[in-house]
Amino acid sequence: MSATVTLEERVRAALDGVHDPEIPACSITDLGMVERVDVTGEAIEVDLLPTFVGCPAKDIIGEDVHAALGDAAGGREVRVTFVYDPPWTTDRINERGRERLREVGIAPHWEQKSGPVAISLMSVSGVACPFCGSTETKMESAWGPTPCRTQHWCSSCRNAFEGFKEKADTPA
Amino acid sequence: MPDEDPRLGLLLALADDELVIGHRHSEWTGWAPYLEEDLAFSSIGQDEMGHARLLYEIAEPLAGKDPDALALGRQPGEYRHAILCERPNGDWGYTIARQYLYDTADDVRLAALESSSFPELAAAVKTIRLEERYHLEHARQWFTRFSQGPVEARQRFAQGLEAAVGEALALFETLPGEERLIADGVLPRSSEDLLGDWLGALGGVLEEASLDWVLASHEKAGGEMVPTSSGEIEQGPTLTVPGLERRDDRWVHVGEFAGDGGRRGKHTEDFGVLWEEMTALYRKIPGATW
Repeated sequence: MSATVTLEERVRAALDGVHDPEIPACSITDLGMVERVDVTGEAIEVDLLPTFVGCPAKDIIGEDVHAALGDAAGGREVRVTFVYDPPWTTDRINERGRERLREVGIAPHWEQKSGPVAISLMSVSGVACPFCGSTETKMESAWGPTPCRTQHWCSSCRNAFEGFKEKADTPA
Repeated sequence: MPDEDPRLGLLLALADDELVIGHRHSEWTGWAPYLEEDLAFSSIGQDEMGHARLLYEIAEPLAGKDPDALALGRQPGEYRHAILCERPNGDWGYTIARQYLYDTADDVRLAALESSSFPELAAAVKTIRLEERYHLEHARQWFTRFSQGPVEARQRFAQGLEAAVGEALALFETLPGEERLIADGVLPRSSEDLLGDWLGALGGVLEEASLDWVLASHEKAGGEMVPTSSGEIEQGPTLTVPGLERRDDRWVHVGEFAGDGGRRGKHTEDFGVLWEEMTALYRKIPGATW
């Protein structure tokens, strides 16, 4: 392994240690929220894409990024900006993020376009259960504990589970 | 207001609509008819307030006030939302009727603003619309459910539409400085033009559900033949929706608006009550954080 780790790599590693307080299993990198990192002699600029516009965790995430970059910054000014161009979409969540979501019982269901039957955004059946993998499931509600989640029921293992609400440019 | 940048008026109209209707939605938290709808209105309300905050952030340099001061630190007469948004929730029929009318109208104007020459606004609108899809779907699902009955559900939904539709037109009241907004490409199409689109689509949907009589001049509670146990149909005063006419098989807007003035800061008693509650903490403890 190379002995020289660039500052930008250290910054990115630090960002990977910042977690979404509403989904502690996932880092902001897993969720695809880090849009741009720019390191100069004077400053570290980080652009983040919020998942949902009204996400109450936004301010906390901003503070956590400042705290996480404290050491790496070495006196540089840290500037964290939330940007909306491009819009955040669910397909930005990386493979590790999807795996971590399943582990905590949240189905990343937008990736199963060929399988589930989306009658409408309010009624999606056949989303794979994150606990047993069965597709004998139905959406109970498009609304959950936070604006970014849905609720489902698995007829096979008889568990309720949550889904991450799909946000896409071209809806299912 | 005379020297105000018209972009600020546009941003405040959009943001205040979202903030105030979002506040009304949040009043269902803990009270909705069942848990899923409690979550639905809580989530939709939270989304709308988030959208308002984003729009206030864009307005900040134009207004010289931060988003909190814009949301909570103005006098009632400085808010630019349409009066429709401040009305109390009423019954479930009115709540759903208003949400349907508001979110379908919001979709028409947001679709147009995606091509605004004001880059921050265009980008914000694109991301906002990805979330509004769920609100629209929620409203449409209830529209179908209510319009198919049973009788009381259909009736109360129709009463909700009757009560809300006149004021919903005023969502498209001409904005202060609109000519300049259009000339600069900030507002790609005029409010009147957008109203025409929305009304055309709404008329079609209502006709399909045989509910288009709510748009017409009609005798209240006599607009639809409803079987009752006694066989009697109650007669009420004639209701007219100001500003609506049917021409060439299409509903169009002509002349006046019911409940206009919101874009110029004119509001009803209903907003006074809402404002008192919404801004109470902000006024009592300046600079409070939690």
